[in-house]
Amino acid sequence: MYKNKKAEIAGIVITIIILILIVIFSNADSQISFLENVASKLVMPVQNGLTYLKNKVSGNSTFFTDINNLKEENEELKQKNSELEQSLRELENIRSENETLKEYLDLTEKYGEYKTIPAYIINKDISNYSKTIVINVGSDDGIEENMTVIADQGLVGHVISVTSNTAKVRTIVDTSSSVSCSLSTTEESIVCKGTLDEESALKAMYIPDDDGIIQGDSVETSGLGGIYPKGIHVGSIQKVVNTKNTTDRYAIVQTAVDFDKLDTVLVITNN
Amino acid sequence: MKKLIINILLIITTFIIYFLQSNFFNWFTISRVMPNLFVIFVLFIGLFSNRIMGVVYGVVIGAILDLVIGTQIGINATGLGIIGFLAATFDKNFSKDSRATIMFMVLGATLIFEVIVYILNYIVLGTNVEIVNFIRILAIEIIYNLIIVIILYPLMQKCGYGIENEYKGNKILTRYF
Repeated sequence: MYKNKKAEIAGIVITIIILILIVIFSNADSQISFLENVASKLVMPVQNGLTYLKNKVSGNSTFFTDINNLKEENEELKQKNSELEQSLRELENIRSENETLKEYLDLTEKYGEYKTIPAYIINKDISNYSKTIVINVGSDDGIEENMTVIADQGLVGHVISVTSNTAKVRTIVDTSSSVSCSLSTTEESIVCKGTLDEESALKAMYIPDDDGIIQGDSVETSGLGGIYPKGIHVGSIQKVVNTKNTTDRYAIVQTAVDFDKLDTVLVITNN
Repeated sequence: MKKLIINILLIITTFIIYFLQSNFFNWFTISRVMPNLFVIFVLFIGLFSNRIMGVVYGVVIGAILDLVIGTQIGINATGLGIIGFLAATFDKNFSKDSRATIMFMVLGATLIFEVIVYILNYIVLGTNVEIVNFIRILAIEIIYNLIIVIILYPLMQKCGYGIENEYKGNKILTRYF
């Protein structure tokens, strides 16, 4: 395909650049800040250099005076700077610990009626077609199969297998997941299934024939099916899709939990 | 001795690929679609070593994936095992000296693997069938895998012939004509 080594290397470099561009532009929303960072990293050193040159040329008379004093002062400032950086790092650690503890506290208060165990997500599925997660608690912590997993905003999924210190959770957005739900306004029953279409959306099937379903309706678990307890918030109706056959019509439910940013969950141990 | 070293290196590569797939490529996606490095890796083993190695590595890697993150043991193991088996067939029928041929093999392998896994998931787990979304994700995944093969082809070829010399001997006529 390539006639010589240089052309081959150039081909590979161009392919890598194209790949990076495709990744950036295909995930445009989430990558904007990344793009800004890259741009600023490229531009700022040049900008700094030019500013330095400009200052020098413009004849700052104090530039060459008392270099020794400046050196000493510089050393002192460097020392102070490293001390400040050290305390900043300590503060950052304390702050992140505080945030995690607050998150746990919020979750526990919100679902006070349930006995819960907090957990971190330690692994996500490597396939594009299923959405399971692995959490850092297992049978040693009292976790069993079919226990419900929730987050601050609502339902996450249920435990499908357990090892001594990890548990695998099938999320509600997995394509093999079906959750029996009810609409908060009319109490009509619907079934919410995972879909490949979006990361944080469900397809609500078997929706009522009449106009008893409207955009924005809150959806929560109905308690049927034996896995999920009643009344856990699932999400809200985003849109209703009408088809020729009324029995086929469905609704898209926006999940309350943002599965992209999910990192802390609670496992309910007394369903 | 050399075979042992090759196998140790392949096992280390498996772990590196696993961590890349579960960390880096979870973030470095095209429209939220990840590539599948394991398909490329098993195809590479099957092409440059032999059928038994391809199938064994395919089944073992697949089984580990099923155990660590999968929902049902056997689905990935079957898919990757079949890719390992097919790789040896590809090797007999096509030349590995062309980047384009390797790309066609990766295209076919990714397509076959994902279709098998999707059908098995449907049969075993009863997943909801969404043909349009499946085709969309599969198409992006294939493109992503092809881009990775373009980038990694020189490395694959260099390492591959090292493995091939050890497993098949260096008297393969197709390499000299």
